[in-house]
Amino acid sequence: MTRGASQPWVMPSLIVALLGLVFISLAWGELTLSPAQLWAGLNNTDELARTVLFQFRLPRVITGLLTGAALAAGGLVMQAYFRNSLASPDLLGVSSGAAAGAVSAIVLGWTAVALWVLPLAAVAGAVVATFAVLLLAKRGASSERLLLAGVALNALLGAVTSYQLSHGVALWERNSQLLFWLLGGLEDRSWLHVLAALPIVVAAALLWPLGRQMDLLSLGEAEAQSLGVDVKILRRKLLVLATVLAATATAVAGIVGFVGLVVPHGLRLLVGPEHRRLVPLSILGGAVFVLACDLVGRVGGNLRLGIVTALIGGPFFLWLLRKRA
Amino acid sequence: MLRLFILLVFASGLAHASSAVRVVSQTVGTDELLLALAEPAQIAALSHIAKYPEFSAVAKEAAAYSSISAGDSEAILKFKPTLVLFADYSRTELVAQVRKAGVEVIVFDRYATLTDVYANLRTLGRSLGREARAEEIIAACEARMAVLSAKLKKVKPKRVVNASTYGLLSGAGTTFQDLCDHAGAENLATTLGGLKGVQPEPSEKMLVWPIDYLVLGGEGAVSDALAPLRTVLPYRYIDAVRKDRAVVLPSALLASVTHHRIDAYELLARGLHPEAMK
Amino acid sequence: MSALTLKNISVAGRLQAVSLELPAGALVGLIGPNGSGKSTLLQAAAGLLPVSEGAVSWSGKAVGEIAIMERARRAAWVPQEAKFEFGFSVRAVVQQGRYAHGDDEAGVDEALARFDLTELARRPVNQLSGGERQRVMLARAVVTQAPLQLWDEPLAPLDPRHGLEVLALARELAAKGGTVLMSLHDLRVAHALDLVVVLARGGLRALGKPGEVLTPELLREVFGVRVRTADGLTLELP
Repeated sequence: MTRGASQPWVMPSLIVALLGLVFISLAWGELTLSPAQLWAGLNNTDELARTVLFQFRLPRVITGLLTGAALAAGGLVMQAYFRNSLASPDLLGVSSGAAAGAVSAIVLGWTAVALWVLPLAAVAGAVVATFAVLLLAKRGASSERLLLAGVALNALLGAVTSYQLSHGVALWERNSQLLFWLLGGLEDRSWLHVLAALPIVVAAALLWPLGRQMDLLSLGEAEAQSLGVDVKILRRKLLVLATVLAATATAVAGIVGFVGLVVPHGLRLLVGPEHRRLVPLSILGGAVFVLACDLVGRVGGNLRLGIVTALIGGPFFLWLLRKRA
Repeated sequence: MLRLFILLVFASGLAHASSAVRVVSQTVGTDELLLALAEPAQIAALSHIAKYPEFSAVAKEAAAYSSISAGDSEAILKFKPTLVLFADYSRTELVAQVRKAGVEVIVFDRYATLTDVYANLRTLGRSLGREARAEEIIAACEARMAVLSAKLKKVKPKRVVNASTYGLLSGAGTTFQDLCDHAGAENLATTLGGLKGVQPEPSEKMLVWPIDYLVLGGEGAVSDALAPLRTVLPYRYIDAVRKDRAVVLPSALLASVTHHRIDAYELLARGLHPEAMK
Repeated sequence: MSALTLKNISVAGRLQAVSLELPAGALVGLIGPNGSGKSTLLQAAAGLLPVSEGAVSWSGKAVGEIAIMERARRAAWVPQEAKFEFGFSVRAVVQQGRYAHGDDEAGVDEALARFDLTELARRPVNQLSGGERQRVMLARAVVTQAPLQLWDEPLAPLDPRHGLEVLALARELAAKGGTVLMSLHDLRVAHALDLVVVLARGGLRALGKPGEVLTPELLREVFGVRVRTADGLTLELP
């Protein structure tokens, strides 16, 4: 029970699901390509199929799976950090912070300066939001306090974004760009976005070995310290990783809600609370969830990703609240 | 309504009395109509974006007049108008407030075609006592349209899309479609994409569309206007972008819902069919 | 050399200049009215609370100079009340006590048996009663095999039999050379320990053998109670 013996099928199932979803996302799209054409695209003999596969579908899939992995892992980290299973980047306002940063950078015209400005602005916004959460809700705070802090912060940062949308003369083109951040989506993601999402890979790799320490931390700070965990350093690492994960995901795909809540929670119900298993499973599960939601949205007639995850995550969250009450 | 009509007919008979009409225009479309028709003394204020060239085809002329701020009904009523011009997308509560203040309002709700534009010119001309001016403008427009359609009679339509960096395309029933219909262009978003209204672009499909030209809002050289498109999907991989095949129209004309559209028709036709338009 | 030395330690607003030394092999009770600073003293002694003044040392070595991993092998601390948000199994939580020993499983099954937790080993800790949770935390402290055991009111939520068993275990640990410092409210239990530390209003009031320290005068002054010796109910393990 304690050493990962339970539900050994979860990991292989997720891997199979991920491979299947990647395959479907590459093979299926607006443009119908026959298997022969796809094969020719892989072999460099069909220019159109090659472009569609490698410039349209592949970057979209990679951006999607990195976004999902980052949001789920970020949620898992925040839950361990705050010792509260309702904590997640979007509910606590960290995603809103990232969006407010990105939106401000667009409005101020900084994004035209260089490619890295946008992700950097998103990280800066997320950092501000993270510190605000830390001030508003102490670690181990009650769910009520934590969620209220999130409500307040989301409202505040939402106002920043709304101001950018409404002030001065509304430019339709700019506002469409801003709305992208608020709805979240993977439309027309290119290799530039994959590049911008690479910090996710680094953060996930750094998170991987911290699972055991997260177990101890999630049962209490002083307790973890007394058992041999350097809590101060661990907390600092986790905070940086969670912020980078959530902010980078938001920078490349906008606000995609509920992934950080639904995925770790669902996995915890399946395999228990041990983080050595939850870290890799959340990374995989987040990727699977986002790719699946993206496909659902495309089949459902161009529903934005953020809308699909909210339609699934919202009821799940309400069910969770009811269960805890 | 009849009483108002009689009053207006009566008023139009007196040159000085017509100045007693004081008009506030709340949208950029009505700004364009009003500036074309009214005597300067009849214009109390124009919309809050009347002076911005990216939205208004009459930015220069508008500079001489006051503008309302983008606020509530007080921003309009402080100019003591006797007539306020709205469009059907103006906020309904704003229209209701102005009506409640006892001010006459006209809400324009059809403006997609030139026929609609002519009707709107006549409606406003009557209210201003400027029917003759309205007919004059309409006659000039019809003459220009006759020349334009004669020139374009034999051309083979060029295949175009309305490109932008924000992931949307204009299909059937949009002002862009109307523009194509009058400028010798086939809007592929409608004919191949089957899009109605403004819709997310079907990026992958656009790769196989035979796009002759992109139509962009903006100004300056084609290669400059295309610069932002060169880095985004799907335009990076569209031949017309690589080969700098695009027509750039001032944004205000591209979106104009008045007789200024004819400028856009002519500009686009000239861009697509330079031989025929000589 | 004393197992635990507190030299003049203060924690702002909670403890003032407390100095004491506890020998190895002693079972020590920490008593005092509510708010007298017992929990604070235990946390400071465990090196978990920054002290504003003074120094804590274990077997003569200042806690600040001991690496965190090594500290976990030298001292174990049990909080007054354990809150579990996540449903780790009882066994998993007890096994966490081995984190500083290469995360092995040594002594885990014995500790589960010793605290009557074998049957509950697979149960999620967030579904346990208060007394059961306390036994889990004590078992986790014991598997660390740390010579210094600092327990915050371990007996309060326990039923009489489990309480007596915990005391018996503490006695065994002390007999093997360990030092157990536990806070408690039951003065009759305190009377049976090797030493008692009496705290009052954040300061050290007395330290010594219970028979010498727990005088009627002190109890009256510190706790506001009067002592009367009479026949009563005495509980023992069978």
